[in-house]
Parts: sequence; structure tokens; C-alpha cells
Amino acid sequence: MSSLLFLLRRTLKSLIKSIFKKPAVLIGYIVVILFVGAMIVTSFVMPSGFVRQSSPELFRGIMMIVFIFLYYTTLKLGIEKGSSYFRAADVNMVFTAPISPNKVLLYGFIKQIAGTFVLLFIAIFQIPNLKNNFVMQPYGVPMLMLAVVAYAMTYPLVGMVIYSYTSKSKKRKMVVKRAFDGCAIAIALIFLLMLSTTGDLQKAIISVFDSPVAQYFPIFGWTSAIASSAVSGFTLPFIIGASGMVILIVGSSIALYKMNLDYYEDVLEATDFLEQAYKAKKEGRNLTFNQKVKQNVKHKMTGDGARAIFQKMLLELKKTSIFLFFDKLSVTVILSGIAFSYLMPDEVGMSPFLLVLSFSVYMLMLMQVQGGWSNELSKHYIFLVPASSPQKLLYATMTEHIKNLFDGILLFVISGVLFKGSVDIILACIMTYVAFGAVFTYTDVLTRKLFGSVHSKGLQIFIKVIACILVEVPGIIFAVLAGILTHSDLLAILALGGWSLILAITFFMLSANIFKNLESAA
Amino acid sequence: MLKVKNLSKKYEKVQAVKGASFEVKAGEIGVLLGPNGAGKSTTIKSIAGLLRFEGQITIDNHDNKSIEAKRVFGYIPESPAFYDSLTVWEHLEFIARAYGLNDWENRATALLERFELDDKKDKLGKELSKGMQQKVSICCALLIDPKMVMFDEPMIGLDPKAIKELKSIFVELKNAGCAVLISTHIIDSIDEVWDKVLIMSKGEIILIRTRDELAASGESLEQLFFEVTDSKGEETA
Repeated sequence: MSSLLFLLRRTLKSLIKSIFKKPAVLIGYIVVILFVGAMIVTSFVMPSGFVRQSSPELFRGIMMIVFIFLYYTTLKLGIEKGSSYFRAADVNMVFTAPISPNKVLLYGFIKQIAGTFVLLFIAIFQIPNLKNNFVMQPYGVPMLMLAVVAYAMTYPLVGMVIYSYTSKSKKRKMVVKRAFDGCAIAIALIFLLMLSTTGDLQKAIISVFDSPVAQYFPIFGWTSAIASSAVSGFTLPFIIGASGMVILIVGSSIALYKMNLDYYEDVLEATDFLEQAYKAKKEGRNLTFNQKVKQNVKHKMTGDGARAIFQKMLLELKKTSIFLFFDKLSVTVILSGIAFSYLMPDEVGMSPFLLVLSFSVYMLMLMQVQGGWSNELSKHYIFLVPASSPQKLLYATMTEHIKNLFDGILLFVISGVLFKGSVDIILACIMTYVAFGAVFTYTDVLTRKLFGSVHSKGLQIFIKVIACILVEVPGIIFAVLAGILTHSDLLAILALGGWSLILAITFFMLSANIFKNLESAA
Repeated sequence: MLKVKNLSKKYEKVQAVKGASFEVKAGEIGVLLGPNGAGKSTTIKSIAGLLRFEGQITIDNHDNKSIEAKRVFGYIPESPAFYDSLTVWEHLEFIARAYGLNDWENRATALLERFELDDKKDKLGKELSKGMQQKVSICCALLIDPKMVMFDEPMIGLDPKAIKELKSIFVELKNAGCAVLISTHIIDSIDEVWDKVLIMSKGEIILIRTRDELAASGESLEQLFFEVTDSKGEETA
């Protein structure tokens, strides 16, 4: 075990040393640490229930949805690929070393705990939002963190058990997959049925996901019971949930540690998959990684020179989207945008269109931080195409604009029907949405041109998100002023859209030479 | 030293290896040859203890998955992989600790010098070129002074000097009584050093021949390979 502890210790030490070697990276990490620190302090000290005081039932329902979704997605992937805490280096060096597999598993667990920091980081960002809308217990924030840690420690464990069972035969895999999907569809149907009966999103969430039995359900029920104690306090579901999770994690760890283990084969495929995922993340392909590619897609390529890049990207999009330009991003942006406007209290006093626009743009910013154009940088083809760099940039980003237009039309036409909006408002929202998308795309290009390939993708994305928020501040101010002075939602939206358009054109011009040669994007 | 008896491995419906049996003795260099999909990688991974299988594999008379067997077994995988944040030297230090080696520093230094990596010892694994990574992988496996060592496509990415060095290392290992198993597609690369050839096709060991036996037939290793793999293909066609 001492050699494995050496590995963990030395990895951490080298990581810290490597950060100190690069002052720019160090500054970036300091900013991130300060930002996260500020978020944590804010999470603890900010008053809870400031915007409104929603019911604990709704909080429990939301937590249940979150953990059902998280367990469903990670465990389903686990059935396909297995779950692994290990990297290729572990397979080559640790698995073949004279160390018992039980100790190797323990080492994997320790690594996994370190990995939960990323999840905690994401969770921290959601806490202010939750605190604004719910009255939390004084110990609410640590309880939410505890639930995230419990989830992160449980899913690889359960995933490995499920994979060990399903990897024996295709039939078992199929049965378990169908059982998972069947449960998911059943839950979704029950929810939709309840939604259509009550006609109220909150009531439907509470009646389906806060049923008295749900929180006692092993694993996802227990985890959400821990999270729910942030609002509900230390109730019986919490005691059962927390004890259940402790017994599950400690018990299965001890059982695994004492067993005569032979699990290396089970994690080989998962490790390979994980390795590919890391590679994709490094290259900025994390959003397109593991996307299902449709076969037999017919697409006639027209145009030459830089237009061929656009045609190629169009073909790629056709092969990976659900229908035309409709893909997972469309689903997320549309559903979250509309759901947000329903969940926001009337006291906010904003038009539903502004709510949908602001939240969908926020989601777009988070999800479109790494556009398809950046994939081109890792290959030599685009640099060799006989066309000017601005042309290449325009055509390499064209599919993103068209896709944003497609999503924008869908989102705001649906919103128009739901909230009975006028045509000019709908058109202004679509135009603003597309302009925002262009700002995110060209901010991405510009930061890449200015800072090159930064030490860590996470840091690069963080810089980009902060930059996007900062450059849009004047647009938001113009929109607020236009709204106050003219009392017109249309002018407020147009002010925002106009500013974004100016920004997008400016950023395009500033970064137009990125495809001149490899060094201009290095 | 390495004994493989009735090794079989099935992936769902695909029988990757069917009852393979062979032996590589101490002081012998065995070469595992075979076309793509012959079952070489599955055999290699089974020997390395990474897969579950039917049959028996022993290294130095110990079950291949036992701690005792792993202690004397060196493995150079086809694709080297390193810890992103560890330097070359730290990788060697980890191996020394994992295998409980004493006074390993001099040996590690000598290996790095031999592969012209002595000026790279403070480089991170991820900063190295593919060829250099392969060299470090070889150094890690040889550091433990193995009784049995297995190379999976060891020449890929190596420069001519490193290939020459590796060939002399094969011979040194053999002379020191180590059993060496090399899996490769590049027949020319091992033509000078092999003692026993194991040819696989469609999951089976279809031929085992020693250098002396082949010399007596007057054939080259390459001729023999194409002869048996083509005829096997025709038989099953």
C-alpha cells in the first residue's frame, strides 16, 4: 500500500509544483480558488429564502429528481462501459505490480474521493439559487455537500457490481438496460400524467417525487434524503438514508476488500473509455464525445474552398443530431428555458419572454463553451484549405449560428404559443438568442487566439465564461435602461441583441486570423 | 518459467483463444506471431493477469495472478501510459516501491543512460514523445530485474539506436536466465534473437518451432509464417 500512497502523494505534489512553474496558470487557479471560496462563504452566510420561501416538499422533490437523473445516467453508462476509477497508467503499472487487487481497489476509492471535488464545485454553484428559494437549516450547505460526496462514492461501486453482472452476457445487459429504461419511462409517464391532471409543475413534482415511500428507496432515495435534510432537518428518512449509505459504502468496501477479487477485466473497457473521454476533454471534444453517429446519412457536398468546411460540419451535425439540428443541446436549452420561466415567482416582475431568453442564453453559454470549430484546430486540414483565414473562420462557425437559429426558432415559437407573445417579440428574442450564441462562439475563438491552449481545459472554460459575462454587462445595462425608460420589452430585448451583435462582429474581426497557421492558434 | 496450459478465453460469443498451450523456458526468447485477430493480445493480457480465463498460466511455478508471480514478471504493454503529473524518475521510484526493490537507483540510472533518457529524468511522462515513452516503459519493466518479461510490440516508435539497444537487451536477458516473450507483427525485428516461435491463428497456437528446427528445414521465419497462416486460412475457409 505504501507504493500506492507514494503515487497519490507524489501526483498531488507534482501537480502543485507544475502550477507554480507557470505564473499565468497560478494566477488563474488563485482566481478560481478565490471565486470558489467566495461562493462557499456566500453560500454559508447568505440569508435563505430571500427571493421566496418555497415548500420543503418541493425541495425534496427537486433533490429526488436530481439524484434519480444522476444515478440513472451514470449507472446506465456503467452497464455499457463499466465504471472505473483507474487510468491506463494504473492498468499498465499497478495492475501488473505485486499488489493485491483489494489494495488496488482501495487506492481507486481514494482517487475517487479526490474526484468528488469537481462535483462539489458544480454543486456549490447551485447553492445560492437553492438558498434564495428555500429556507435552509443552518447545517443545510454541508448536508448538500455530504449528499454529493455520498453519490460520488456510491455510483462507481454500484456501477462495478452491475457491470460485473451484466458483462457476462448480452442478454443480461439487455435485460438490465431495459429495466433501467422501463423505470425511467414509467417515472416520466407518471410525472406527465400528474402534470396534465394538476396543470401545475410544482404540484406535479411534489406529488410524484416527494411521495412518502420514495425517500426510503435504497441508494437514490437515501441520497436525496441526505440532501433534503438541508431543508427538512434530521428526520427519519435522513437517519435511514444516511445509515443506509454508510452501511452500503463501508459494507461493500469491506466486502470487496476481503473478497478474492478478480475485477481487472471488468474495469479494462471502462478505463479505456475513460481514457478516451479524457483525451476528448483535452481536445475540447467533451460535448461531442461518445455521441452516437448515424450511418447512411446522405448529404451532397456543394461549394468549394472554405465552404467545404461548412459542408463537412453540416454533414457531421446531421450524423449526430436527433433530427436536422435538433440534439441534446436543443432539448436542454428549450426545456430548461421554459421550465425556468414557470418556476420563477411572479414577484420578479419580468416578462416570461425575458425569463426564457435570459435562462436559455445562460444555458447556451454553459453548454456551448467548446464549439465544434475548435475540433478543427487539432487537425491539419483546415490550415491547408486554399482560402483566407476569415473565410475559414466564418464557415467553420456557420453551423453553430444555423443551429442557434434553429433552436431559437423552436424555443421562442413554443414560448410564443405558451405565453401568447406577439410576433415582433418572438423575432427579437430569436435574433438576440442567435447574437448571444455568436458572442459565445467568437469569445471562445478570441480567448484561444489570445491565450493559446491553456494549461487546463477547465481553467480555459472558466476564463471564457467569466469573459462572456463581463462583455455582456453593458448590453444588460442598456436593456435595463431601455426597459425602464420606454416600458417596452421589445426595446429591452433589441438593446441586448444589438449589443451582442456588435460584440460578435468585433470579436470575429479580432480573431479572424486564427486559421492563418498552426502557431496563430497554439 | 512461463507455462500456459489449455488457455481459453471467450468474449460473449467470440472464442478469442482456444486451448492454447506453450512454454517459454528460463533463458529462452519466445516470439508470439500471428495475423490481426489471431488472439495474441488476449493471450498477452491473460498472461499479464488482466483477464479472466480458463486454463492455467504459471510464472516461475506460481499462478500468474499471485503476488509471487507478479514480483518476477515484467510487462511492456503495446501502448505505454504514464501518470500525467509524475516525472520519469518518479515513475521508476514508484515501480521500485511497488516491487519492494532495494538499492534500485544505480540500476535505474544505468537503464536511463542506456536508452539516452538520463537528461529526461525530470520530465513529466506526458511531455515525452511516443518513442521516449516506450523507452521509459521498457526501463520500468527491466528495473525489477524480472525472471520473465513480456514485450508487446516493443519496437513501435523506437529510433534505430534504441531498437539496436533493445535487441542486445533481449540477448542479455536471455543470457541472464530470464524467459522473454515478444509479441510482434514485425518479423524482421526479432529475426536475429528468437529461440522459439509460437504462431497463432484464429485463437489457436497452430505451430511451435525452435530456431534449430527451422534452420534444419532451410526456411526463413517469414516464409514459415506465411506458409502456416495462409494454409490455416485456406483450411477454415
